[in-house]
Amino acid sequence: MTGRLAAVTGRLAAATALAPRPGLDSSAAEWHDAEPDLTNPPSDAAPASSPRISIALHDVTKVYPNGRNALSDVDLTVPEGDFVFLVGPSGAGKSTLIKLLVRDELATHGEVYIAGFEVTSLRGRDIPRLRRQIGIVFQDFKLLPRKTVRENVAFALEVTGTPRKRIAATVERALALVGLTEQAAQRPSQLSGGEKQRTAIARAMVHDPRVIIADEPTGNLDPLISWEIIQLLLRINDMGTTVLMATHNAEVVTALRKRVVALEDGHVVRDEVGGYHRDY
Amino acid sequence: MIGFLAFSIRRAFQGLWRNRVMSLAAMVTMVLMLLMLAGLVIVLSGMEAGLSYVESKVEIRAELYDGADPSRVATLEAQVAALPEVASVTFISKDQALADLRAQEAAAGQPDLSTVVGSNPLPDQLAIKLKDPKDFGSVKATLLAPDGVVARIPDQATNVDQLISITALLRTVGLIIVVLVGMTVLLIVVNTIRMALMSRADEIEIMRLVGASDSFVRWPFIFEGLLVGLFGALLTLGLLSLASGPISQLANAIAGQVPVGFGQQLTSEIAAVVFGAGLGLGGIGAWISVRAYLRN
Ligand SMILES: Nc1ncnc2c1ncn2[C@@H]1O[C@H](COP(=O)(O)OP(=O)(O)OP(=O)(O)O)[C@@H](O)[C@H]1O
Ligand SMILES: [Mg+2]
Repeated sequence: MTGRLAAVTGRLAAATALAPRPGLDSSAAEWHDAEPDLTNPPSDAAPASSPRISIALHDVTKVYPNGRNALSDVDLTVPEGDFVFLVGPSGAGKSTLIKLLVRDELATHGEVYIAGFEVTSLRGRDIPRLRRQIGIVFQDFKLLPRKTVRENVAFALEVTGTPRKRIAATVERALALVGLTEQAAQRPSQLSGGEKQRTAIARAMVHDPRVIIADEPTGNLDPLISWEIIQLLLRINDMGTTVLMATHNAEVVTALRKRVVALEDGHVVRDEVGGYHRDY
Repeated sequence: MIGFLAFSIRRAFQGLWRNRVMSLAAMVTMVLMLLMLAGLVIVLSGMEAGLSYVESKVEIRAELYDGADPSRVATLEAQVAALPEVASVTFISKDQALADLRAQEAAAGQPDLSTVVGSNPLPDQLAIKLKDPKDFGSVKATLLAPDGVVARIPDQATNVDQLISITALLRTVGLIIVVLVGMTVLLIVVNTIRMALMSRADEIEIMRLVGASDSFVRWPFIFEGLLVGLFGALLTLGLLSLASGPISQLANAIAGQVPVGFGQQLTSEIAAVVFGAGLGLGGIGAWISVRAYLRN
């Protein structure tokens, strides 16, 4: 289960060593020094290039109990390995769509597929299995204040019954991936916003998920730090993990020629590569 | 599995410590309730022991008319012996009765008064042992039914009746009190665990987010409730063992020659009741709380 993460970090090291990207901090290089044995990626490290479907919504409607119609007839297909921005004005239904994907809310009509699960018909006791296939990242980080960076990341493994001796190595790899090896013993209160979000991403990566779902991961961060987080998500995506990210960050969306799905008032109004087009 | 247990128990101890004021309050009320429960068990078992001792001594003596028809006596004897509530019926002739009395008085070291009277003043008798002394009334009716056989049935059973009704009353009142206190303890445990759940609301949210199964969310809190019960029970048994000397002295003083059993059996009985009630209330209270919290 830690194979892909190892592969990701391995390729990441190779990539960073060859062509460091602007805006990246130096931690990846430091990590490179710390774990030289991983610079030669295993042979199965090729990114998934199969055209399999990672996320699919079919005719999805979500009406909240108070009668608010948050999503109407949404159709969306995301192949494995894609990087998709989800944009739209406040109240458009971005967070609602994400909640349907992670089975925090149930669709009123329609079908929702993610990471091989048919979410709408999932039984309650199978939800944990779904969540382990999805890395979830939020604007407010959702870190535990009493725990250190390392403990916050390890927590995700502990509570899913991972054997103790596997936890430490997996956590260190995830911390290396996000460049937080040095801050591992600090508590969230002793971290910058960007470091907090990187901790959350490390925690999301620790189960080696097939999909990362991020709801405004840069919403609380200033532009420079936002770029850092986006770069990290791009690198994770490069290694084969599908990424779906809701954002208001027009600058980022415009600069990167990635697929953009725009929601307005619960409808998909645009689905194309690049461009933000409006001031949301 | 071992990882799961270690995780749950570690978190349960953590929870107890974080929430120590409430946990302590829960334990103290738990101890009070368990002490009451143990006290009830001790008193009731003392009463029962006394009762069965007295019961074993009790028999109905039906005094027969002088010169009652032996065949009618035999018929009545058979009739009474056939009653389901009767354990045994023995015919005791007046000579036998006198011999018994003399033996009894000799054993008690009293002067033989019967020699003062010229002839034997005692009647022939039927001695009836009952399976349950409470059935005294129906047997008495059967004995008195035929004319000219039974002259008199001396009233011996009154103190048995009293003992029985006192024991029954004590059992009822004691149980009601223990149940009421037990419900209070249950509510306190429910509330303690609810606070533990609320103080971990963020952790629970994250646990669910990262795919922790329900048992990982649930069991640490159930263990926390069980620990309250376990510590309550241990504390209670500790206090009881400190007090056991004075208790048995007191019991002996009250019960006198009645052989009340404060031996091994009662001790293990009390331990079982105290552990059972403590763990039961702790576990059930926590379970109720966790269910209510996680259902939302
Ligand atoms: N639990 C809920 N109950 C009722 N209505 C809700 C609930 N959650 C969201 N809504 C409504 O659904 C609509 C879509 O909300 P959602 O949070 O998905 O928007 P969003 O696109 O994420 O907005 P933002 O960019 O501000 O985060 C809004 O009108 C919101 O008020
Ligand atoms: Mg939102």
